[in-house]
Amino acid sequence: MGSTGRQKKKKNSKIIAVLLVLGVLLVLSIIFSMKSGYTHLTFHDLLRILLGGGSDKENLVLFTFRMPRIIIAMLVGAGLALSGCIIQGIARNALADPGLLGINAGAGLMVVLFVLLFPTKTALSIFTLPFLALIGAGLAAVLIYLLAYKNLEGLSPLRLILTGVGMQVGISAAMIVLVILLDESQFNFVTVWQAGRIWGASWKFVIALLPWLLVLVPYVFFKARVLDVLGAGEEIALGLGVAVEQERRILLAAAVALAASCVAVSGNISFVGLIAPHLARRLVGPGHQILLPCCALTGALLVSISDIIARTLVQPSEIPTGIVVAVVGAPYFLYLLAKSRR
Amino acid sequence: MDSITTTNLAIAYDESIVIEALEMKIPHGKITTIIGPNGCGKSSVLKAVGRILRFKAGAVYLNEEDITTLATKEIAKKMAILPQSPTAPHGVTVGELVAYGRFPYQRGFGRLALNDRKIIAWSLEVTKLSELEHRSVDTLSGGQRQRVWIAMALAQQTDLILLDEPTTYLDLSHQLEVLELLSDLNKKQGYTIVMVLHDLNLAARFADYMVAIKGGSIICHGTPDEVMVPHALKEVFQIDAQIVKEPRTGRPVCVTYDLVR
Repeated sequence: MGSTGRQKKKKNSKIIAVLLVLGVLLVLSIIFSMKSGYTHLTFHDLLRILLGGGSDKENLVLFTFRMPRIIIAMLVGAGLALSGCIIQGIARNALADPGLLGINAGAGLMVVLFVLLFPTKTALSIFTLPFLALIGAGLAAVLIYLLAYKNLEGLSPLRLILTGVGMQVGISAAMIVLVILLDESQFNFVTVWQAGRIWGASWKFVIALLPWLLVLVPYVFFKARVLDVLGAGEEIALGLGVAVEQERRILLAAAVALAASCVAVSGNISFVGLIAPHLARRLVGPGHQILLPCCALTGALLVSISDIIARTLVQPSEIPTGIVVAVVGAPYFLYLLAKSRR
Repeated sequence: MDSITTTNLAIAYDESIVIEALEMKIPHGKITTIIGPNGCGKSSVLKAVGRILRFKAGAVYLNEEDITTLATKEIAKKMAILPQSPTAPHGVTVGELVAYGRFPYQRGFGRLALNDRKIIAWSLEVTKLSELEHRSVDTLSGGQRQRVWIAMALAQQTDLILLDEPTTYLDLSHQLEVLELLSDLNKKQGYTIVMVLHDLNLAARFADYMVAIKGGSIICHGTPDEVMVPHALKEVFQIDAQIVKEPRTGRPVCVTYDLVR
């Protein structure tokens, strides 16, 4: 009894330590991100501006340009990570990710149509953007589900991935066709979106994205036990009294909504939904009650750091954040793929 | 009283019918084993009774209540079912997996209450897993793993457990260990146990009641002494069996057999 009690305590304190370290790293990345950019701010400057003593130019740089962008990066990271974690849970497939499955691309197609229809960014149009993205992502998800679902075998993990990758390539091709119809600035926008550049970096976009996360994230945390039990397989879950088909559909819809609302403002950032749940699982184990918050923190940290690199590496220009994530993400994906074949 | 009754039960995968008009009764408080050749539909019957496979026609009654009228979470408080060789989520610990058994009782965000923890501790103790509570299920042997699943079923606090081939992939001693655990649960805790078993002799050794299925219908049923008779085995398995009473257990055993020519 004594030894198992000690083991349990050890595990709990490890979890608390992990969450603390992630939290501290996130705060550090926020501070670093506020400091760095075209106009470099020292720590001292930063304090002064935050306390209200900044010049107009400094206030503009920090409060209008950098802060919304930092917040968007974190929210998008957390949202995409949770989306990936849910999809991995319901598909029982460690390789699932909203980007790889073409869900992001579905949202992107609608974003492109949006740009075609509303060339000027009015406030109203910004708030309709997540809805449009959701329609596109939802259609892609339904199509993937129908194509990958086979009556007797259910949702086969391998078929899901293959269908998803096919879908992603297909939609990207459709976007390229659409690009022919666009003028030069719209064309630029589409390429920027596809590369995953955080383009909607203003408070308006923060306000457009936030309500989605405020509704979806608590709901997903609420479903942690269901995700746990689904991980033990369909038959076990049914035996424990889970309405499997129904729960799967609702959770998939939540994952799609998370991914769609995020990529609507961030551009097509892939791999976060793949890497963050993996790292989080390694850190705190498979129980979703702790895995989900840890995963959200990991995702936020990942995109936040990637965004710092994206903004500072080739100043005064910038690299799309999605590309930075992909530079880490693609090899990690291949590594997981190689490991899963053994 | 019967724990389970099926009337006119029919099961089909797409258009091919596996079970037709099955009338089966599972006695309360006993160990029942379902036997039959490969593909006879015995697993399908177990799954349909455990409502993890939708049946095409007929009805299944659990303690005289039609299961289609009960909420699935309510059923999970009365009947546990373990499929054949389930796989645990990667990295899950023994204690966490057993805690899944509390799912039907949990609401909201699902924190484990004191009562839940007590029941989990009891389930671990009965299955002799208390020492392994914090071990990852991946690191356990096949026999230990099967005990973990049984502990999860115990945590559901049902009085009925259905198991589909609980001894698959286990060596001789671990097969016996699992079956003796189930036998203990039946005798000491009053559990009603229903299992599909491949091994005839083990089925006869542990069962109070046997059901032999072939081609989707029941060929014979009764005590092991009534079912383990040459003419019944001939009909069910197409074998010419020699049956003796084994002195150590007093149960019928098939010592050797030939194919019926």
